[in-house]
Parts: sequence; C-alpha cells; structure tokens
Amino acid sequence: MKILIGLINGMISGATPILLAALGGAYTYYAGVFNIAMEGMLLTGAFFAVLGSYYTGSWLIGVLLAILGALFLSLIFILFAVVLKTDEFVTGIALNLFAVGATTYMLRKIFSVKGVFSNPAIQPIPAIRLPLAENIPFVGEILSGQILMVWVAGLATILTYFLIFQTRFGLRLRAAGYNPARLDSSGVPSSRMRALSLLACGVLCGLGGSFLSLGYVNLFAENMSAGRGWISLAAIILVNGNPLGIALISLLFGFSDGLGLLLQGYRVPSQFTAMVPYIATLIALYFYAARKRRLNSA
Amino acid sequence: MTNNPTLIEMRHIVKVYPPSVLALDDVTVDFRRGEIHSIVGENGAGKSTLMKVLYGLTQANSGEIIYKGEPVHFREPGEAIAAGIGMVHQEIVLIPEYTVWENIVLGVEPVNWLGKIDRQRARQLVKQKIDEFQFNLDPDARVESISVAARQKVEILTLLYRNVEVLILDEPTAVLTPQEIPQLFAELNRLRDGGHTILFISHRLEEVLELSDRITVMRKGKKVDTVPASATTRQELARMMVGRDVIFTTRRKPQPPGEAVLRVENLSLREDHGRVRLNNLNFEVRAGEIVGVAGVEGNGQFELVNTLMGIQKPTSGRIFIRNVDITHFDILQRRQYISFVPQDRGKMGASLVAPLWEDAIMTHHRLNPRFSQWNGLLLNTRFAQQFTRDLIENFSVVAPSPRAPFRTLSGGNQQKVIVGRELLLQSDFVLLDQPTRGLDVGSMEYIHDQILRIRAEGRAVLMISADLEEIFLLSDRILVLYRGQLVGNLPVEQTNPQEVGSLMLEGQVQSS
Repeated sequence: MKILIGLINGMISGATPILLAALGGAYTYYAGVFNIAMEGMLLTGAFFAVLGSYYTGSWLIGVLLAILGALFLSLIFILFAVVLKTDEFVTGIALNLFAVGATTYMLRKIFSVKGVFSNPAIQPIPAIRLPLAENIPFVGEILSGQILMVWVAGLATILTYFLIFQTRFGLRLRAAGYNPARLDSSGVPSSRMRALSLLACGVLCGLGGSFLSLGYVNLFAENMSAGRGWISLAAIILVNGNPLGIALISLLFGFSDGLGLLLQGYRVPSQFTAMVPYIATLIALYFYAARKRRLNSA
Repeated sequence: MTNNPTLIEMRHIVKVYPPSVLALDDVTVDFRRGEIHSIVGENGAGKSTLMKVLYGLTQANSGEIIYKGEPVHFREPGEAIAAGIGMVHQEIVLIPEYTVWENIVLGVEPVNWLGKIDRQRARQLVKQKIDEFQFNLDPDARVESISVAARQKVEILTLLYRNVEVLILDEPTAVLTPQEIPQLFAELNRLRDGGHTILFISHRLEEVLELSDRITVMRKGKKVDTVPASATTRQELARMMVGRDVIFTTRRKPQPPGEAVLRVENLSLREDHGRVRLNNLNFEVRAGEIVGVAGVEGNGQFELVNTLMGIQKPTSGRIFIRNVDITHFDILQRRQYISFVPQDRGKMGASLVAPLWEDAIMTHHRLNPRFSQWNGLLLNTRFAQQFTRDLIENFSVVAPSPRAPFRTLSGGNQQKVIVGRELLLQSDFVLLDQPTRGLDVGSMEYIHDQILRIRAEGRAVLMISADLEEIFLLSDRILVLYRGQLVGNLPVEQTNPQEVGSLMLEGQVQSS
C-alpha cells in the first residue's frame, strides 16, 4: 500500500510540470505556432522562482518572478517569429539554448556556485492539507498534502479546455491555426492570436518551472528541466492538443517518472532509471503511429 | 433597374503597380443601387484591381470614390465591410474544420459575459439569414463536408451577416460546375430584388449577358464603355474586350482524317468496392482529327484521362498508339507517345513555385538527351534556357524572364507554357483535358488556334471539355460519356448541341 501511494504521488508530481508546460503549448498548437520553446521557458521559470524565493523569502514572489522570466522568452519569441516572421523552429532552438546558457551564467554569477544552488532560505511552494479528507484511507493520503501547484495544474486543465473550445477567444485562436487568412479577413489579426497564445504559454511554463524548483525539489540545478519541455511537446502532438488528453498523457509520463524513482530504491542504477520517461515517450510515439496508420487505411 | 439612383461613383481612378505597370488608367464608372453590374475584360484588364481599390484591399494613386453621396476612402477591407461593401474572392477562404455557422460568425461572435460563445443565438442568427435569402444551407454542417458551391454561399452569407449592401463577386462561376451556376444566378437575382447591389467580375460573356443589368467593359486598364445588357451582344462585348473582332464560328477547314493513332479496346475500370467508372469503351482517334469528349463532370472523364496516362490501371481492355500496345507502359514510357495537357495547371500541369524554365522543360528533360550532359548526371542548363526562350517566343508567352517563378504568370500565360511544352514533344497523339478552362477570350482563342494547327499537322487530338460550345467549335467527332459508358460517337456535321446535351444528361436522345 505504501509503495502504491508513493508511486501515485510520484506520478502526480512528475506529471505536474509536464502538464503545465503542455497546456501552454496547447495554446500555441491551436494558434498554429510551431513552438518548441517550452523547455527553455520551464528552465527560465525554475531559475527565477529560486531567485525570487531566496531573496524575498516569499514563494509567491518566486512564482511571480518565474512567470515574468518565462514571459520574457515569450516576448522574444513574439518579436522574432510573429513580428519579424523568422522561422519558428530556429527561433525555438535559439531560445532553448539561450535559456540553458543564461540560467547557468546567472547561477554562477549571482549565487557563485556551480551545478546546484540549494539553500534553506529558499521558500518552497506550500503543500495543501485537507483536514476533512485526510482521514479517508488511501484517497485522503493522496488528496491531502499535495503541493498547491498540483491543484493549479488541474484547474488550468479545465480552464484551458473551456477557453479553447467554448469561448470567442478559443474560436479565434483555433481559426488562427486552421486558416489565418480567414481570420484576418474577418477583421481579427491572426498575428494577435499567435502572440496571445505565446503569452499564455509563457505564463503556464513559468508556473511549471516554479513547481520544478520550489515544489518537486527545493533547489536550482543547471539544466534542471531535463527534457520535460520536449516531453510536453510530445504529449501535445500525441493527443492533437486536446487539454484533457494532455492531462492523461502527462500522468502517464509522470508515472514513468515515479517508476524510475521507485526502481532506484531497488538498486537499479539511477542513470538507467532516468531513461524511463524517455523510453515511455518512444513507446507512446510508436502506438500513436500505429493508430494513425490504422485510421488512414480505414 | 437601370434608372435607379447612383450608389457608388469611382472618379478618375489611377493605379500604378511599381515599377511601371499602369493597372488602372483614369477609370470613371458608376454603380446604381439595386443593379447587377458586370465588369468584364481579359485577364490583366484591370477589373479585379478596380474592385480591390473600391474594397480597400489596395490603394489608388489618385482619383476619388463617392459612396452614398459622400467621398470615402477605405484603408482596409474591414472599413469597407463596416460601410456596407463586401467582396467574395475567387479562391474560397474558409475554415474546413469549423461548421457553417462558426465560419460565418467568426470575428463578430455573440458572447455572454464570460466570453463564452452563445451558440444558440449564433446558430439562430445564421439560420435567419439563410432563410431570409433562401440559401438552402445547413448551419451545422462542417465546411469540409460541403460542396464548393455551398462554400461559396457561406462566403456570401458571411458578408450578408455583416449587413453589406454591396456585394463584389470575383469570377464566382469559375469554381462552379455548369449545373450549379443557375442556382447562384437565382440567388443573386433575389438579392438584387431585395435591394442589394451586385458587382460581378467575369470574362464569360454568356453569363454576363444573362445576369447583368449593366455591363462595364475594360481593356488594358481603361474603361471602354458601360452598356445596358439588353442593348448589346456577345460579339460587341468581345470586340470591346479584345479590341478587334473575335470569331465565334468554327475555322476548322475540312480535312480527311488519316489512319487511327489512338485505339481503345474494351476499356473498363471498376473500383474496389464495385463501382463501375468506365464501362467497356471502344473508340479511335485518327490522324488529323480532333475528337471531343462531352459529358457532365464525373461521368468518367477523369478516369478516362487517368487510364490513358497510366495514372490508374484499367480493370480490363487495351490501349494502342500507332499499333503499339501501351496498356502496361508506365507513365514515362507513355509520354514518348502522348502529349498531355492536364486539367489542373497548378497541380498536375506545372509546379507553381518552380521557375518558368523548369516547368517548360519537364518531360523533355527525361526524353530528350540534349537536355542532359555528363551522361545524364547533370542538366544542360544552357540548352534548357535556350529551349525556354524559344518556347516563350513561339507561343507568345508574356513573362518577365525564364527564371521568374511560374506562379507570377497569369493563368493564360501559364497555360500557353504548358500547351507549348506538350506540343513541342512532337508526339502523334495529343490529350487535352479542359485546355481553356478559366482562360480569357484572347488566350482561349490562341489555344484554339494551336489545337487547329496540330490538327493540320496531322496529329490526333482527344479533347475533354465541359464547355459544349468549345467542343462544337473544334471537334470533328464528338464522344459522349454518360455514367462511364460511351453513349454517343457522332460526327459533328450530323449532330447538334441539343442532341449531345440530352445524351449528356440522360444517356439517350429524348424521343419527342
């Protein structure tokens, strides 16, 4: 029982940053932006979350700073890919490399450490205890004690679904992706929708990044996003951007993350267990391709 | 109608496209409230540019527009729509994944305080418009599942939903099948009777005469004249458009046909799920003979072309050219015997993004060793360029240079390049699929001349056309396809359009 609860909790905290980043990517996916910058946005968010939390002693300011940091990357993306119309793929690669370089540089300059900055003064995002649910066996042990950002991620899933499929904003957002010329001719500039989608992506990746460094662990490490932004991209593509599907896939990836941690307890080398989420990605892609082929031949 | 008050006046409009193309040269024209006013002219005559100036899609260099008695100046289409002037472009721009109502309300969606779309109200508003104008559309249908004609209605409704009074339509019939055109015209007439003003760009003179109240003719950026439709004829319009007399009667000189070049024996094509596309066709095309294939679209023309070209394998039957059995040849092998002008210029006929010279040498570069050097390892670009320059000159193509992207050429010039390329292949058999679709009168006449020229050279021509008039103008013999069967094989002197028409529609001649 303990193992199962540990596995489920591992799954949830492993899924949260991927889910938040993938929800952000869903906005750009529907707006027709080929956005691969989630990785860089997560990493930037993680760094600024630690920076804010360490210097002010407030996790909330850490989260806000994380959002601003990721939004900064969004603005660069908008400037280049939307305003100047450079290639989105190249812009995304540049931003991801820039994020690694810039956060590593700032880590060494500001905190004068290499590799990892960890300090008791970094305030983590609090966990939410649910006194009423706590006493329910099993379910209560999972529901209570989750970090605030987990609930935020869940809420963001529902909100994103509502925004994209039910609102005026969503109709226009998807129109920008399906046929920008039609949107333009109906009086709404499609470039505005693309820019808005990137801003939404920045906010959500900032939240995801802050969870990485103030929730999942309580430190900043060089390149600590460790491919989660890329996995979020895989999640988006696997379910064609559907937010509910993204949540499901994120949990799957989170599960493989938790499984990796569990296996470490059984003396499986950590280098090997760290491969698990990526192997899961490949397996998911295989099933995706197989299903697509079946659909095409039908 | 022709006595209605003036709604729009365009005065002394001049538009120069840099560096030095004078697209509109001091054009003054007026449009009246509640009339259907056609603007005709050849490609490049300036009719679309004139409408784009009115619609705010492009800005005039000088001149003024008076709308409802006030001078107006639209900087972008949104302003024109807000003032009540909307334009439906030739290419339909809709979102296939959205429903009809979603496409129509996009940009002016009714929402509640949360920003949530009020679906019920949106659907109801769209339904009202559909009923008001009797457009026979399902607001909940996905656009990807509806016909081109229905999509065009969605475009028109989008403007009506925004309460425009003036509708500009840029060659709306170009994308429609002949059966769909009367319905569009009925709808436009209803709109006109309801007080809308319709500006109709076209170069199909029969349509224009049938539909319009008044007609403005343009040529080379100038307005030639505006005339009431009831007071003019096709001959007169064509003369004004082209600047000289256009002959609509045949110039085909009698010529006895030679021996059979193409021979089709028992050709059948059955699809996997049993549907018969071609049913046991037998015919010949002889040297020096033009054989026209008539039929309502979708009765096997597409499959006939595909099986002749080797794109689809016939279920049974054989195809001979000059007694060579080509039934099992691949496409390139067939190309040694067949010149082929496909229906779709931009997809099968040429690559739109490639430079002109690459499109001009296609197929030649595989069949003629002079196009390659180093044993076929490299292209002989010098020869290719020379070939292209000769083609441009010999086929009167207007193009800035052999290196210009193909898409920058007008439709007529694109077709001249493709026809020129194919005729230069020197094959005995020429297959033409809709050779003049979408072309203006001048280009059409030019292509017709070329077709008659190769007939005189003694080549065999099989021409598929949806234009019955073209078939009668050029053919020596007419084949009629009906549901994949050959229901007529008639020498042109022994038949008439009525007979062919009823064969096309019913597969037999009505006994009256």
